[in-house]
Amino acid sequence: MINAEGISKTFEEFTALDDVTCNINDGCIYGMVGSNGAGKSTFLRVLSGIYKADKGYAFIDGLNVYENPKAKQKIVFVADELFFLPGATMNKMAKLYSTVYERFDWKRFNELTKVFGLNPTKAIANFSKGMKRQASIILALSSRTKYMFFDETFDGLDPVMRNLVKKLICNDVAEMNSTVIVTSHSLRELEDICDHLALLHKGGMVLDSDVLELKTTQFKVQVAFRDEFDRNKFENFKITRYRQEGSVANMIINGDREETVAEFKKMNPLVLDVLPLTLEEVFTYEMEALGYEFESALEVEKHE
Amino acid sequence: MFVIDVMSRVPVYEQIIKQVEEQVLTGILKEGDKLPSVRSLSVKLSINPNTIQKAYTELDRRQMIITVPGKGSFISQKAVEVVGASSREKIPELAKIIRDLALAGVTKDEIIRNVNEVFDEMEGEE
Repeated sequence: MINAEGISKTFEEFTALDDVTCNINDGCIYGMVGSNGAGKSTFLRVLSGIYKADKGYAFIDGLNVYENPKAKQKIVFVADELFFLPGATMNKMAKLYSTVYERFDWKRFNELTKVFGLNPTKAIANFSKGMKRQASIILALSSRTKYMFFDETFDGLDPVMRNLVKKLICNDVAEMNSTVIVTSHSLRELEDICDHLALLHKGGMVLDSDVLELKTTQFKVQVAFRDEFDRNKFENFKITRYRQEGSVANMIINGDREETVAEFKKMNPLVLDVLPLTLEEVFTYEMEALGYEFESALEVEKHE
Repeated sequence: MFVIDVMSRVPVYEQIIKQVEEQVLTGILKEGDKLPSVRSLSVKLSINPNTIQKAYTELDRRQMIITVPGKGSFISQKAVEVVGASSREKIPELAKIIRDLALAGVTKDEIIRNVNEVFDEMEGEE
């Protein structure tokens, strides 16, 4: 179990994390999204004990992570900027990892290098960008740690490799109840694999929810009536967004889907369509509510 | 055995439940048939194992499958009955379609003829 308690971290003037608290259960694949500079990478660095939080604590299985080898033994972290020893081959890196991680699995390491088609005796410096990323993923998965953190790891892989890595992660979670945190810009990347999603914005945790709940408690309704009407007609619903053009209204509603549909049907609509939201929509609306609008960002570009 | 569309608006969890229901109705899955394990399905589809576990738990709750610890999940004796009962809930949808058709000018005779044709076809298949 991961507990982050009121973590704050600033770099000179810039506040990267502002009082972030969250609990992540074992066996969870936790996805983290957010705009650039939202604090995703900083959060992972605090969790893995690379940074010391200015305020607050990060605990893993009840152990404070910072400068605690016992806790770090349980964590492997694939950073967005990869580091390999100068002139190292994958075999050499694996040797280094095996001295740090007690449970390092050589058998798995050899299998995975074959599956990924990487030569472990060649200098990593000569690998392509994607291959370097694959190399660090192989090292991480071979370390057999309970906690694995991937910082924008999927973004640099081709679709086939991405799918393979997802399969491997699913396998570890199903088999050993591993806990995984993945950050990404792309929600699509996280939608199928994560069961929990968090949204960071300007260093704060804005949203932290079960994926299934996100998708089932909010939905889009399109409805039309013969007679004239306006928003007041729907007072009983919890509406987060409303738009009406003529006799057709579009809205986003929070609540129980079946109950809402039943309520709407009672009103005798001409048209009634209820659609689940995609995660992308959920997050776009959340971000808009925070004043982070994509449209206005585009307008700025036009002016320049 | 399942085809999951991760881009779909329908949650993966609901897609799995729906596909089990369909396969029970069409007879692809019969009483006593074993469903793939959570782990193997998760790896095969690269879908979070917890999501698949949730779908299985819901199917178990609806008594469509029986989960035997250490052995796996099996289609229950009541599965067809359970799906059948939930299929009846679709009758209001049919009513809506008929209303739409009637509004569009399709006659009652035409609708009835089509209904009969579907039944005839299905009898032919058997």
